[in-house]
Amino acid sequence: MAWHDYKKKIKRQFSEFLEIPGDVMLDLPKIVLVGNIKIFIENHRGIIEYTTEKVRVNVMEDEVAITGENLLLRNVLPDELCVEGKIKSISFL
Amino acid sequence: MFLFKLMSYLQGYLLILVTGSAPEKFVNMSAGRGIYLWDITRVSDSAVVMKVHLRAVKPLRHIARRTSCRFRIKRRVGFPFYLAWLKQRKSLALGAVFFVGALYFLSSFVWFIEVRGNDRLGVNEVLQAAAEAGLSRGTPKWRVDPGRVEANIGEKLPLVSWTGVYIKGAKATIEVAERTVPGEEDRRPANIIAKKSGLIKEILVLNGHPVVKEGDTVSQGQVLVAGAIPPPEEPLPPGGVKKPGEKPKPVQPARLVHASAIARARVWYEGYGESAVIETGRRLSGRSETRVSMKFYGKEIILAGSQNIPYELYEANTLVKRVPEWRNLNIPVELITVKYYELVDYKEDHGRAGARGIAWERALADAGSKMPPGARIQEQWMEDVSTGPEENVVRVKAVIETVEDIGEEEIINP
Repeated sequence: MAWHDYKKKIKRQFSEFLEIPGDVMLDLPKIVLVGNIKIFIENHRGIIEYTTEKVRVNVMEDEVAITGENLLLRNVLPDELCVEGKIKSISFL
Repeated sequence: MFLFKLMSYLQGYLLILVTGSAPEKFVNMSAGRGIYLWDITRVSDSAVVMKVHLRAVKPLRHIARRTSCRFRIKRRVGFPFYLAWLKQRKSLALGAVFFVGALYFLSSFVWFIEVRGNDRLGVNEVLQAAAEAGLSRGTPKWRVDPGRVEANIGEKLPLVSWTGVYIKGAKATIEVAERTVPGEEDRRPANIIAKKSGLIKEILVLNGHPVVKEGDTVSQGQVLVAGAIPPPEEPLPPGGVKKPGEKPKPVQPARLVHASAIARARVWYEGYGESAVIETGRRLSGRSETRVSMKFYGKEIILAGSQNIPYELYEANTLVKRVPEWRNLNIPVELITVKYYELVDYKEDHGRAGARGIAWERALADAGSKMPPGARIQEQWMEDVSTGPEENVVRVKAVIETVEDIGEEEIINP
């Protein structure tokens, strides 16, 4: 595991030095929130759970949980996702 | 987004209900295989509704089996389904096609012909001339040659100087321009008489025998220029005495002509006006109030405006609106709008000079109303009308002097 962490650290330093955005170099998710009605997640790795109150999305090693009311998946593409509804919170688990 | 919806409608899409323990897996696998899903909504704990394109449904069966889900089609939306529906109703589709065809076919005829620009010429004459050249109601548009119609109208109707024929839609417009033909000259013997009394200022005789001369005072109806021209007088032979035994020459009859002349005369018009020095009366104050009420079976219900009229003195203007009667149906509802205009008493002191000015204006207007429209005012003056003791009223007489043509034709009865 140590070797893995070391590789990650080198990668981050390299991208910081060259000012390359993290979502390209490090495969991090890019999350755009429009008010509290709409959320875009790019670079996701699939949906884990979907109910009208909670949406959990897999992103590189982490998990993004969105809670709210009347949530619906507006569209689902291989690497992009759009959730609509009344969003209350977004958290990384 | 609109474009996407339109494309989806044209391609056709399905609303599917996915049931199973993990619909998320179903969604993930579809997305992974490039099947686009949208508007995913959870309807119950174990069921999710989503939309999918028509052409992507077949691979979904495979995915459903792999993720142990089941899906059922809830609704079909889009043009392909509409087309299938239409296939079962062939006569409806045929009717629509027939309607469009009939509309197109019927619009290729001239159904209306409008004639414009004719003043003395009758519409029927123009239409008949157009019909001879092949433009009449019901003619197919491709058979009408506007140039030929124009030529024929110009040929048949000499009163027309120019014609234009345009066809727009199912309507043909024939525009004509008429020639101005000089009117027939009146050759009946006539006198010129005075229209009104006046003092002749100048007289210009174009035809006829002048009876009056400049500076003469004429009264209404008096002959100014006679239509009968007397024969020239025979000069007396030298010596001034007729030879005895010479036969008197036959008296030649007077020649009768249609007299024409311009007879300008000075004409006077009088007008009278009066004005009170201290004026009292009632007039509108400018304030008004509107009351809208509804009458229903004799009962009046006020909808807007106050119940009591807020003015002591007022003038009312009532407007009643009701539903027009039809057959024996009578709707007993009336909408009544009453507008109240407030009146106020006023007392105004013009002073003697002010009242005189007002009376003068009124007298002038009175005199002016008797004048013909084209008359040129030469002079105007005021005369006081005294009524003895000083009173509250100023009376004034206005006199306007104009110069106008007072000649009028009068046919001589044979």
